[in-house]
Amino acid sequence: MSSSILKLTAANVAKDLRLEWRSRDVLNSMLFFAVLVVVIFSFAFDPTAEESRRMAGGLFWVAFLFSTVVALNQSWARELRNGVLDAYRVSPSAPESLFFGKCLGNFIFVAVLECIMVPLFVLFYNLSSVGPLWQLAVVLFLGTWALVINGTFFAAMSIRTRNRELMLPLLLLPISIPAVLTMVGATTGVLTGESSPVPQIKFLAVYCVVFTTVCFLLFETVLNAE
Amino acid sequence: MKSKLYPFFVGLVFVLLSYGTYQGLIGAPTEETMGDAQRIFYYHVPAATVAYTLFFVNFLASIIVLWKRSATADAWALTAAEVGVVFATVVLITGPIWARYAWGAWWVWDMRLTTFLILWLLYVSYLTLRRSSEGGSASVLASALAIFAFLDVPFSYMANQWFRTNHPQRVIGTGNLDPRMGYALMANMIAFLAFGALIAWFRYELEVTERKISAIHVQRAARGVLAGLALPALFLFQAPQHASPTTYMYSAYIAAWVIYIGYLLFLTRKVAKLKREEQELTRVG
Repeated sequence: MSSSILKLTAANVAKDLRLEWRSRDVLNSMLFFAVLVVVIFSFAFDPTAEESRRMAGGLFWVAFLFSTVVALNQSWARELRNGVLDAYRVSPSAPESLFFGKCLGNFIFVAVLECIMVPLFVLFYNLSSVGPLWQLAVVLFLGTWALVINGTFFAAMSIRTRNRELMLPLLLLPISIPAVLTMVGATTGVLTGESSPVPQIKFLAVYCVVFTTVCFLLFETVLNAE
Repeated sequence: MKSKLYPFFVGLVFVLLSYGTYQGLIGAPTEETMGDAQRIFYYHVPAATVAYTLFFVNFLASIIVLWKRSATADAWALTAAEVGVVFATVVLITGPIWARYAWGAWWVWDMRLTTFLILWLLYVSYLTLRRSSEGGSASVLASALAIFAFLDVPFSYMANQWFRTNHPQRVIGTGNLDPRMGYALMANMIAFLAFGALIAWFRYELEVTERKISAIHVQRAARGVLAGLALPALFLFQAPQHASPTTYMYSAYIAAWVIYIGYLLFLTRKVAKLKREEQELTRVG
């Protein structure tokens, strides 16, 4: 059973990646949006190197949160247009695999975005980290997962409402506040080297575990809500 | 509304609230350092208790909805969330007025303040979701969100430990409370819990009637109330020393009642609208 779930998940991820590779809808718009946010922020604040270490954590995650929302809004819209959700409801395959596939797909998109945005941030803000970089990588990984898992779930929820695109940030942002606060705190801690991010990383890990579990438990309900 | 107990309950709540207000304004001794501004406490803390209780009711009702798909539980979930948001709004308005006097700042990123604000945001987003989803899916989607919202609260409490903890002052009084102050607080606590229960009951009956009529255009969420909030606080936009603590006390009390009465007026308008629709329906029928 579990192997079939994994196989279905892999099929879903492959489908999402192939669709994205052919159309490049999500990546292009997300990337451009993120670049715009970075440029506007750097115009608006124009910080020195010392200041930017303090601010970069917050700016980075805010830019990131907004671009993720842009990407997530697209991810389910395509399925709704083509009736994939209805097909999934009548098929005997586990809905969890659809959800997990979507999450992994979104995670890959957002990770690609991060790989492009991090150098941009370093460039625009003259960043250099005082703390160890591997900790930043852990924060990035956990933070991205926290955003993507909740985001994918709430995107599935918001496409069922009347004003689809508008609902996602309204639902996702309040739920993500604790995660965002911790990510920002941890990133600032590493960049300035003033505090250890280890407690925040632990917290993020717990947050990811709890919300991943709840998303998996409730996804079927949301998929079948009529 | 139809129950015979209802008028009796209204009377009881009125007596309790009057007694609580008397205790809070006159009965309890004046605090040494904060003066009359401390009396905001008797309105602030009970409102917070009622809000927490109602959000817990919302959580329980949401679980029942997901489990049994019960329409009654769904009506209770919506009622609890909406009335809870009203009481939470009172907490968020009276709190800053007190803080302006005691701390000299409207708002600080204290742990408790931030978590409460997040709680308020979460339930406003819950009400927004209910407003914009239609048919049978509304209750299921909203219940799923309610579970997330309730889980989120302990996390935001923890998250604040590492973020902007420049003000560790405790807002809630500890064991060293004057017994007469404790008595006034308890009187207000009971009064406001009864008041909250009364509004929730009223709102619930309204929801049930509304569903019976199945009106298409219904207005939810406590809008409009927000417009009245700024008014009593306006004259406090100056250095804290210029206004006396009594001014703070009255502005907080007025602000709290503007919200409660505003919400009740909102509900009354809704009743009138429902009655009109019912009449039209019977005329057609």
